[in-house]
Amino acid sequence: MGRPGFVLDVDERTPPLLMHEGEGFRLERLPLGSRVIYPPESLPGIVDLESAIRHALLHPHGSDPLPQLLRRGMRLTIVFDDLSLPLPQMRTPDIRQRVIEQVLELAAAAGVDDVELIAANSLHRRMTPAELKRAVGERVFRAFHPDHLRNHDAEDPDDLAHLGTTPHGEDVEINRRAAESDLIVYVNITLTAMNGGSKSVAVGLASYASLRHHHNVHTLRHSRSFNDPPHSAMHQSYDRMADVIGGQVPVFTIETTLNNEPFPTALRFLTRREWEWNLTDQASYLAVKRSNDLATGKLRRRIWQATEAPYGITGVHAGAPTQVHPHTLAAVHHQQLTEVQGQADVAIFGLPYICPYNVNSIMNPILVMSLGLGYFFNLYRGKPIVRQGGVAIFYHPMPHEFHPVHHPSYIDFYELLAETTDPVMLETKYEKQFATDPWYTHLYRTSYAYHGVHPFYMWYWGAHAMQHLADVIFVGGNRSTTARLGFRAASSLADALELARDTVGANPEISYLHAPPMVLADVR
Amino acid sequence: MSGLRDDLRLLRHGRDWRGRSRVPRSAQRWEQPDNGDDFPTAWARTAAAVALRSALQQAMLKPVIWSQTRPVVHGREYLDSIRGPAVFVANHSSHLDTPLILGALPTRITRKLAVGAAADYFFDSRTVAAATTLLFNAFPVERRARRGRSLAAELVDSGWSLLLYPEGSRTVDGWLTGFKLGAAQLCSMKGIPAVPIALRGTFAAMPRGRRWPQPGRPRVSVRIGRPLRIEADETVPEFRIRLVRAVATLWAEDDLGWYGALRAAADDSLALPTGSHSALPTTASGQPAQDDDVASWRRIWEATRPPADDGPRQVWTD
Repeated sequence: MGRPGFVLDVDERTPPLLMHEGEGFRLERLPLGSRVIYPPESLPGIVDLESAIRHALLHPHGSDPLPQLLRRGMRLTIVFDDLSLPLPQMRTPDIRQRVIEQVLELAAAAGVDDVELIAANSLHRRMTPAELKRAVGERVFRAFHPDHLRNHDAEDPDDLAHLGTTPHGEDVEINRRAAESDLIVYVNITLTAMNGGSKSVAVGLASYASLRHHHNVHTLRHSRSFNDPPHSAMHQSYDRMADVIGGQVPVFTIETTLNNEPFPTALRFLTRREWEWNLTDQASYLAVKRSNDLATGKLRRRIWQATEAPYGITGVHAGAPTQVHPHTLAAVHHQQLTEVQGQADVAIFGLPYICPYNVNSIMNPILVMSLGLGYFFNLYRGKPIVRQGGVAIFYHPMPHEFHPVHHPSYIDFYELLAETTDPVMLETKYEKQFATDPWYTHLYRTSYAYHGVHPFYMWYWGAHAMQHLADVIFVGGNRSTTARLGFRAASSLADALELARDTVGANPEISYLHAPPMVLADVR
Repeated sequence: MSGLRDDLRLLRHGRDWRGRSRVPRSAQRWEQPDNGDDFPTAWARTAAAVALRSALQQAMLKPVIWSQTRPVVHGREYLDSIRGPAVFVANHSSHLDTPLILGALPTRITRKLAVGAAADYFFDSRTVAAATTLLFNAFPVERRARRGRSLAAELVDSGWSLLLYPEGSRTVDGWLTGFKLGAAQLCSMKGIPAVPIALRGTFAAMPRGRRWPQPGRPRVSVRIGRPLRIEADETVPEFRIRLVRAVATLWAEDDLGWYGALRAAADDSLALPTGSHSALPTTASGQPAQDDDVASWRRIWEATRPPADDGPRQVWTD
């Protein structure tokens, strides 16, 4: 059994601590007295996963067993999380494959012929055939691709169905095939507490008309945090939409949770506590760091993107979404929650090479901001780890790089930031223009581009942090890109603390969120 | 992008030569439990290993130690009665202690002697563990009593004598600290004698942090006491106190002389350590150090005082 997470007080015994910084990492000496929030150690994965999946399907929460929901002549739609989960991509066989195969075996036994598999990619880029095959496995891919295994298209007017509005007047528009099915089976991977639950269908299969009701500055500023669903305005909106969907089409969801093993054995030192590094870990650190630093940018990215996580599965729960999700959240908390007493003046985050939107791609500056001020800042329950008016220090080189195929609208969005970085201004002035731009829509539907509006959502993702923080500093950040985003760059931690001095004084309290592996700070 | 030298410097920062870092205080309660892969030591007790070790100890270890220090050994004659396994208990303040005791004991005993060594210190690195095991016939002892069963009882059953340091670790100031129960418990359980040994001068010669004795051949003394056996009506904690008293008495001999130390012990005027509190049995002035809270510099001052010279007594004084 893994040890629980804990908060380390940096003392004179503490060795330099590991810090991710994009496609690299370093050791950093933190000032004495700094606090470091460590995640719980990885829990053991389920050994007999096949039996666990079968048990979940046959003994669901708040639903009849899946075999009883399947019948000859029905329309069955199996929807699964897209390539934004998990991070990094997990070692094959992917858990989605294992679950889908068992669902299909039951469907075959029940004589279901009309089966469609849809990746819940929402406004994300389409998954390539190779990525689809990797997620669902060879057998499923061969049997269903391309006609019955496909990506969701949020811009196909013929394949969208408006199911009504919520009591708050929010449009609920999702994939038509799914909406008109006799049963939706949703196969989920929950990496953080924000995943799964009502989000799965209500977001994964939605259109821009539906998403704009919760993916906006106001909602995100009132989602504190979006990793704490009961206190997230965004998740409350998801719930309202899920009620509308659930009233018209039955949803059987299978949610799976992961342990904290995001890196393969060769990178084991990335998940071990630094004072417990043995000689092998130290040699690995040195060898990997030197090789990584010496590699060309292209090679380095290729190697990192090829990294496969040896994730173990800690839980498989199936049934009615509202009944299943509490079990899923409990499992996530068991693996990721670390109790923290009080907020700090300065929060430090080491940002890794990957976020949900640059799998097999490039993490451009907008995505860096979204990962830092969005995802990492919001890894809290209760209160942020840094106080209102505090400073956040991120480690990331933030190079001026964009993937022209995957992120075309990001390139233009980046130019907008020269005019303003205010999320509200960007939202009111430019969002609709980008969201409805025919060229971006064309690229989203026919190429592998993220939707035109996606960079706006990424910017909104950090809206709460921008409002909360007095200053944001990127250690090692490219000065021009950092400045364009409205932040500051520092060449070292000492410089960053010097820059922060005007805001938080000479002796600030510092908290470092030691992630990845994932940790959710339960700030009291 | 930093250079290799910078990377190495950061990586080495705060780590010892074996690459081990100290555990930050706030992380101590979350220390890694044993993973069960204890280093094997049985090979070191085979006939070939015994012969090799004996040769190494006599031809290399003892000459080196005896050339770097001036050891004085007393009480070897008390060992004549030892004919089977026994537990040798000694105070511990230096890495010199084990080689000195091995050099001071007769070969017939050292050939069948295993030394308890801290599992978390000597057995973390396989290289160090192998060297320690070969040279000293060391076996791992769990200091925090969390990592499972010790080999000690099995070794005694197999006829091996043991050298144990019941203080659990080298003292930081050279003074005696309290004894753990293990050694007394083992003697009680197996009905074997305990032989008290007191070492003086090793703290001054090579304290924690030094890897080689101080230059100038510092004087060190090894005093071996009479073997003690647990009495029929004696409890293990009582026997432990008797062991502490025996070691403290031997220790005091350097300051008070043999008879003076015996008298001090009989008068119960030796200050004995309790728990993790250090206590020097007596001061060089012959006065018992009754105050538990003496300043640390005084502890180190006394502990680094060279043992009395055993040279010819000066008959004529000024």
